[in-house]
Amino acid sequence: MSKQSQHGKRRQSSEVDTSLLPRDAQTGEAIMPSEQPGYYPGYSTLSQQAFWDKTTRDLVNDRVQNVPRIRYFSPESVRFWRAVFDHILPQTDRIADRRIPIIERVDERLFHKRGVGYRYEKMPPDREAYQLAEIAINEESQARYSGKFVDLPSLQQDLVLKAIHDGKPLAAEPIWKRMSIGRFWLLLLQDAIEAYYSHPWAWDEIGFGGPAYPRAYTRLERGEPEPWEVEEQRYQWEAPRYAVSDITESTHHLHTESRQNEFIPDESQ
Amino acid sequence: MKTPLLGSFESSGNGHHTLGPLQHIDLPMRRYRDTDEVDYVIVGCGSAGGVLLQRLSRAGFRVVALEAGPFWNTERDWVSDESGSHKLYWEDLRITGGTDPLAFGANNSGKGVGGGSVHWAAFTPRFHPSDFEVYTRDGLGADWPITYETLRPYYEQLELEMPVAGPAYFPWGHPHGYPYGPHPMGGVGNVLIKGCSSLGIPVSIGGPVAILSGSRANRPHCIYRGYCIQGCKVGAKASTLITHVPDAIANGGEVREYSMAYRIQLGKEGRVTGVHYFDRDGAAWFQRAKAVIVSGYAIETPRLLLNSACPGHEKGLANSSDTVGRYLMAQAGNVVLGRFDQPVRMYKAPPAHALTEEFYETDPRNDFVRGFAIQTVGPLPIAFGKQMVSAKRAWGWGLRREMMDYNHWASLGLLGEILPWPDNRVTLSEERDQFGIRVPHISFSLHDNDHKLIKAAKNKTMEVMHAAGATEVIQEARYAHLVGAARMGNDPRTSVVDKFGRTHDVANLFLCDGSILPTQGSANPGLTIQALAARTADYLIAQGDTIFKNDKRDMTEPAMRQDLAPPDTWGHGVPRVK
Repeated sequence: MSKQSQHGKRRQSSEVDTSLLPRDAQTGEAIMPSEQPGYYPGYSTLSQQAFWDKTTRDLVNDRVQNVPRIRYFSPESVRFWRAVFDHILPQTDRIADRRIPIIERVDERLFHKRGVGYRYEKMPPDREAYQLAEIAINEESQARYSGKFVDLPSLQQDLVLKAIHDGKPLAAEPIWKRMSIGRFWLLLLQDAIEAYYSHPWAWDEIGFGGPAYPRAYTRLERGEPEPWEVEEQRYQWEAPRYAVSDITESTHHLHTESRQNEFIPDESQ
Repeated sequence: MKTPLLGSFESSGNGHHTLGPLQHIDLPMRRYRDTDEVDYVIVGCGSAGGVLLQRLSRAGFRVVALEAGPFWNTERDWVSDESGSHKLYWEDLRITGGTDPLAFGANNSGKGVGGGSVHWAAFTPRFHPSDFEVYTRDGLGADWPITYETLRPYYEQLELEMPVAGPAYFPWGHPHGYPYGPHPMGGVGNVLIKGCSSLGIPVSIGGPVAILSGSRANRPHCIYRGYCIQGCKVGAKASTLITHVPDAIANGGEVREYSMAYRIQLGKEGRVTGVHYFDRDGAAWFQRAKAVIVSGYAIETPRLLLNSACPGHEKGLANSSDTVGRYLMAQAGNVVLGRFDQPVRMYKAPPAHALTEEFYETDPRNDFVRGFAIQTVGPLPIAFGKQMVSAKRAWGWGLRREMMDYNHWASLGLLGEILPWPDNRVTLSEERDQFGIRVPHISFSLHDNDHKLIKAAKNKTMEVMHAAGATEVIQEARYAHLVGAARMGNDPRTSVVDKFGRTHDVANLFLCDGSILPTQGSANPGLTIQALAARTADYLIAQGDTIFKNDKRDMTEPAMRQDLAPPDTWGHGVPRVK
């Protein structure tokens, strides 16, 4: 297998805009990009691959080594969606060669017209959904900040996407009438999550054990690590200054699939 | 240790068709020609289809199971990976609507030999005696044309054939015990036990789940790797692919993979003559048969019947009652997530390993009828991330932050009984799939009783999570399982099939899968589906040639044929409590 990078090593780079980096919660200083953010320094699922079955090993290595080439999106759309995914799952805390490809995985899915087994009746097919959303998000950028999305400063891009997230767009009303804004947001997030959290570098980041056949997990209780897993080492961090996405809600009133979800209007009308 | 002593693990099998690391099928299997008229064509080789194929083949019938997906070679085809397991799910297009649209695909629909039993969590509680008479007791829902006592011997039988691990004493419904010992607890199981115990709620620990807690014959014990719903490479989790299909093939049954049925042919005498299907290249074939059994599950079974409309059956085959596609049910499957200060690591152990059915029955103090169960679930990172989006509206840095806390969360799923309603329905859309077959449209809406039940179930599950010590509790609305849409009953005006699964309208056409369930309880349906399949098989075997020759309906209950179970299942392990 390929050479494993050293973990946790911080790298300085003169090209990094520190306003886009997460900060140390105590000092307020930017945390420089690293090979492996997260609370499990030194943990590597890939280092355990000799203990995986061959089919799994081949699949995961292929995912790491062979990033699919773009075959569906136009160059302009690639630039647009790459900029969007940089906000949906930002990776400025990762050094450049340890960033996880997202747009390429979405492109592959749309190229093959691979669905997930259903489509909401108030949603267009996925390719059309992405086309419509690109127009709508650009119109939103235009309405709020008089520019195309890709040309806006990072904070304004974040604010445009927050308007979509909140279901409160100012522009593109005809498009959002045709396509549920809440369901589009879920589609976008699901695609991003499927790409990012299927990658072993993300497993390392969150301390997920990964494949365990045929070796087995043996320490099932009290959250204790296997001998080859590592203990958590938490640190406190804050989102970059120019980001508005570090807000979550802790509520039990939200529903994804039901009219009880206040963000997804009753579709029976 | 950086590597295993003898080098990286390689797959076993040496070119054999492997079902888990130890079990092989030595192909070639029997292959009928399309000019042959077989005794039975079974459409769908899943939970029900696999059991039917096994029983009928062992009894000497000539049987072909048409399966839309592949015949898995598990060592070659399956992975320990969420994203790499989409091929296990039915991901062809379906249109979903209504006020509370259902998700399909990975959520509830399997493809390939073994069907849903390949990707189920293998929770196997029985239905309660009350489930069979919901209308009589509560004035809502429906009664079954059979009682719990009719099905009980088949529950006991299938619990041995899978077999099921669980406690020696299971206290709810009709109390019973399980043949294999309970599984050890994972972090989520301990959360459920702690939360329930501190509230005085009884809890079933270590099952019932159809996953081997000890090795048996050519199937290894569970290794607690957590990827149950991505297909069990270990061979510890029961699926008909490994429990019944091998015995079917050894007895002359045929599984025809990549065969997508699109129309059942009705002959001149009002009897079906076979099934039209497409192979993987889109070529059309016709398999002649003396009788047809549709086991396509709650969406594909009604879809096939509706797509088989023909003169005399304009509303769809066997649909004189206008009931085909109606009374579709899913269970409320809201997931309640709790964050704990100490790590949980919920990816270890089977997602399903503890539950309580304390709230299963109608309670006159409630403002709704019927009830719910609370079970453990253990989402892997991708599923968990989607839950964080739904339940916390997380995105961007907030999503990255929540995901970094993955190991601190535990999740419990409620399983709430949603009643059968005629407007929850499968119809045909004008859109067509990759074969040109009209795709199903599903409309699903909650009714008053469902809303009240879900609210109470949600609150109780959150109460349990808090009682277990969670510092933050959130929840996501979702639905689990699919049954109904071609229900059984005694009255041909209000049901599609009789108590043996025979359509009221066509004497040699049977339905046997989750679609025939009149109600669903708050138990996972897999065991009940397989038990019904074994019973329908006994009926067909007892009827012999009669079904092939005339339209006579013999409603006599068949004798149970334990001798037709796969070898070494009957008589091994004993249900310990009657």
